[in-house]
Amino acid sequence: MEMEFNACTKHKVVRNVVRDFAEAELRPIASDIDRAAHFPWEAIRKMGELSYFGLQAPAEYGGAGLDTISYCIVIEELSRVCAAVGLCVTVHNSVALYPILAFGTKEQKDRFLPDLCSGKRIGAFCLTEANAGSDAGGVETTAVKVKDGFLLNGTKIFVTNGGACGLALIFAVTDPASRSRGASVFIIESEREGFTVGEFEDLCGVRANPVCSLFIEDCLVPRENLLGQLGQGIRIGLTALDTGRMGIAAQALGLAQGAFEASVKYSRERQQFGRPISNFQTIQNYLADMETEIDAARLLLYRAAALKDAGVRFTAEAAKAKLFCAVLANKVTSLAVQIHGGYGYAKEYEVERYFRDAKVTEIYEGTNEVQRLVIARDILSRPV
Amino acid sequence: MNLVVCIKQVPAVAELEWDQRTGGLKRDLAQGMMNPACRNALEAALQLKADHGGAITVISMGPPQAEEILREALALGADWAVLLSDPTMAGADTLATSYTLAKAIKLVRRDFDLVLCGCYSSDSETAQVGPQLAEELMVAGVAYVETIEVLAPKIKGGRPTIRLSRQTDNFLETLELEPPGVLTVASSGFAPRHVDLSGIQPAFSSRDLIHLDAKKLGANPKLIGQNGSATRILKVYPSVIDKEGVVLKGAVKASVQDLFQLFGARLNGFVGQGYSPDD
Amino acid sequence: MTESHGKGEVWVFGDYRNYFRNRVTLQLLARARDLAQGLGTKAGVLVFGSRMDEQVGDLAVESVAHGADKVYLIDNPALANYRVETYVNLIVRLAAEYRPAILLLGATRFGRELAPRVAKRLRTGLTADCLDLRLDEKGQLIQSAPAFGGNLVADIITPEDRPQMATVRPGAFQELPHDAQRRGEVVLLDLPDDLPRERVRLISAVRQPHRVEKLETARVVVCGGRGMGSKNKFKKLHDLARLMGGEVGATRPVVYAGWAGDETLVGQAGRQVKPQVLFSFGISGAIQHTAGIQEAELIIAVNKNPEAPMMKMADVAIVADAHQVCLALIKEIKTRLKARAV
Repeated sequence: MEMEFNACTKHKVVRNVVRDFAEAELRPIASDIDRAAHFPWEAIRKMGELSYFGLQAPAEYGGAGLDTISYCIVIEELSRVCAAVGLCVTVHNSVALYPILAFGTKEQKDRFLPDLCSGKRIGAFCLTEANAGSDAGGVETTAVKVKDGFLLNGTKIFVTNGGACGLALIFAVTDPASRSRGASVFIIESEREGFTVGEFEDLCGVRANPVCSLFIEDCLVPRENLLGQLGQGIRIGLTALDTGRMGIAAQALGLAQGAFEASVKYSRERQQFGRPISNFQTIQNYLADMETEIDAARLLLYRAAALKDAGVRFTAEAAKAKLFCAVLANKVTSLAVQIHGGYGYAKEYEVERYFRDAKVTEIYEGTNEVQRLVIARDILSRPV
Repeated sequence: MNLVVCIKQVPAVAELEWDQRTGGLKRDLAQGMMNPACRNALEAALQLKADHGGAITVISMGPPQAEEILREALALGADWAVLLSDPTMAGADTLATSYTLAKAIKLVRRDFDLVLCGCYSSDSETAQVGPQLAEELMVAGVAYVETIEVLAPKIKGGRPTIRLSRQTDNFLETLELEPPGVLTVASSGFAPRHVDLSGIQPAFSSRDLIHLDAKKLGANPKLIGQNGSATRILKVYPSVIDKEGVVLKGAVKASVQDLFQLFGARLNGFVGQGYSPDD
Repeated sequence: MTESHGKGEVWVFGDYRNYFRNRVTLQLLARARDLAQGLGTKAGVLVFGSRMDEQVGDLAVESVAHGADKVYLIDNPALANYRVETYVNLIVRLAAEYRPAILLLGATRFGRELAPRVAKRLRTGLTADCLDLRLDEKGQLIQSAPAFGGNLVADIITPEDRPQMATVRPGAFQELPHDAQRRGEVVLLDLPDDLPRERVRLISAVRQPHRVEKLETARVVVCGGRGMGSKNKFKKLHDLARLMGGEVGATRPVVYAGWAGDETLVGQAGRQVKPQVLFSFGISGAIQHTAGIQEAELIIAVNKNPEAPMMKMADVAIVADAHQVCLALIKEIKTRLKARAV
């Protein structure tokens, strides 16, 4: 029986509902869309109608108004079946929609949120560049003030949802002289002149997510599309990442859970030396370790989510959850392949996809190393 | 239209352990889910409500955990939910179940137009509760309904005529009735919709879910639960047929050849039967 | 309705719609006869209908030839169509008057709607989809039905109420051969004129074209379960079936997984097959499935698990990977065909 951090009925229902959807609509296509690196438009459209793209947004904009624990449950359950779709939903909700909700003017919320909540526009957050990965200070995209607004120029890479996005949040340098107050966030509609989707990345995992480069060439953006204040870029980015981190932790947790369940099932059915391999202590040890650590990861994640819902600072807790869940996902999925033996290495079984999907959770939205920095900073900032 | 939908929470597993002592299922070992056929019934009600207006009351008899499926039904668009839960209701066969559900319907929605049920449940598979509910409520009943149409009343100012179609034993029947009636919905009709996540929070903020125990229901204790059941489970056991046939182990190719060696007389006649290599 | 254990008869509801295809009434008559003999009483059949329905011959004579001691016959144009409420009313009245000990109905769609309503009205117990019916030492009817999933059977009794009722799917019992020498009593009854009016109106009842299912008449059936491994591997069964002039059947999990369509479902909720040769690939043998293969003559089962129930009931149990054996069989057959052609 599953352990849940908060087993209250509402969260159980959210879990059941999303699991039903994922099993019915994503399970049959997950392998194929990964193999072909194809974005599942039809499933995404259905999810838009079911409010998956406005999870925490208020009902007045068409959102589902769910708490953060429910949000994490949704991402976990989607990723348990198809991590690429889980990724699309969490990035859209946490780092594209949420910043607008938190920093946008009323006019911006009215203008952008309804299309985001309905999934009509999929959102993306564009920070990473060729010279700016963990070092956000290396961003070279510029936004120069001109008569009618701002002129943006630059190239963003590894943009999650990039190839399908209808709305992109662009992190650009507005004051090159200044160190930390020099960046701002601009909202660009994909149909705007000067905004082009570039090469799709050919990735090891989460292949059904349309990760790509975005070319911004002399893109004129009106002042009304500046999110928050000029120079508020870092603050917006960090706020977005706090929640985004939990979403990725949920994605990693879902991957671990899915791989674990497959391992239990396989070890019950697979017979060697005259009995199911689940009879062997080595396999039992693996399964015991897997579930124990998954339980621990789940508690870490939902603790962070509960803090956010309580309105309390949760940065370090989210970082711990992300770090732990990402490392766990890699350990569990690798072990899952091992338990499946040769079959685990074949595409006919799903575990190899989980194994490939898991790796990137240690990299994006803050690498393991960055998470550790955040946690250490928090430890060392406490009064002696 | 005043609609009532009876839904059941069933174990979300393919197999479940029996408690040899009580003769009941060890339900607490498994997660629960809404019985798939009940989803079709709820879908039928949602479509009727969308086309003709009205309200939907969902009722479930079960352990406290059954609240989950009632909330899910509210999230899907039901208006009121009633949980019938009481230890004395446990162990009920369909006779007692239909009595208990009918009591609740008469209490909370006496003036119903239609009661909709799934045609059978994935755990007990008896398909009996719907028809027995019709009898208990003393109203018209039709099982395995595939389509439902609401027509203008035959008598001016009267209740609308409900036209139904269903397949039964190689006959396609078209039937009509005036409410009240109990319909069980075939799994081939009314494909259930997914839950819209935006319905969940309101479903939990809603006060429209009431819990009735046996006392509040005013149920006769002799007619509910095990007391009200006419059947009793003597025992549950694995079905084992041991034919003591031939067992072939080892290399696959050898086993296949042994098979033809031993049973060639019975197989050879079919080898290549009706087969053309050009197929 | 409580009843002291008297010598009430054993009754079968005569469902004669689709008569030539659906033999469940005759199968139940055979069983009813055994039960009646065990109780020292008679086996009766209820026949309601209208002779205007030319689908069947003299039903009373047929019933007796197949084992009925008594036929309770109501022949009236008003009964030309099977109507649930009317039939419930008729059975309830007859039961109240004659007080049968046992009432059996075939688990046709009509029977499954009729039985619960009769049971409710008579306030008695009903067990659905029985696999077996037998008497205990006290003359009580033990109703064996599949329990939740898997391979479990539940023995159920109706300790106090009468009649003891059960619905039974076709194939659970075997009909007695037609014996024109058998004698029986026909109780000709009139349709009561004070029956309540039907609350449901029948607008039309159109007989669907009778599709003879290839699977049900196939002499070779190749059945596959989840042990085949995947949809692609399952497809190989079709190749094997083609090589033997056979048809492919499937279990419920396979149909749910989308590896095969529901028209291939073999089992209680699907088709009954009675092939001369049945191949069973990667099937564990849950009752819901095996109830559909009771009449197979030669069963060849392939499973990695030698203890699977399907392996126990097979004439030949091959312990190996189902897909591998399927491929090996295909190869062997093709080799033999080539040898013949030479």
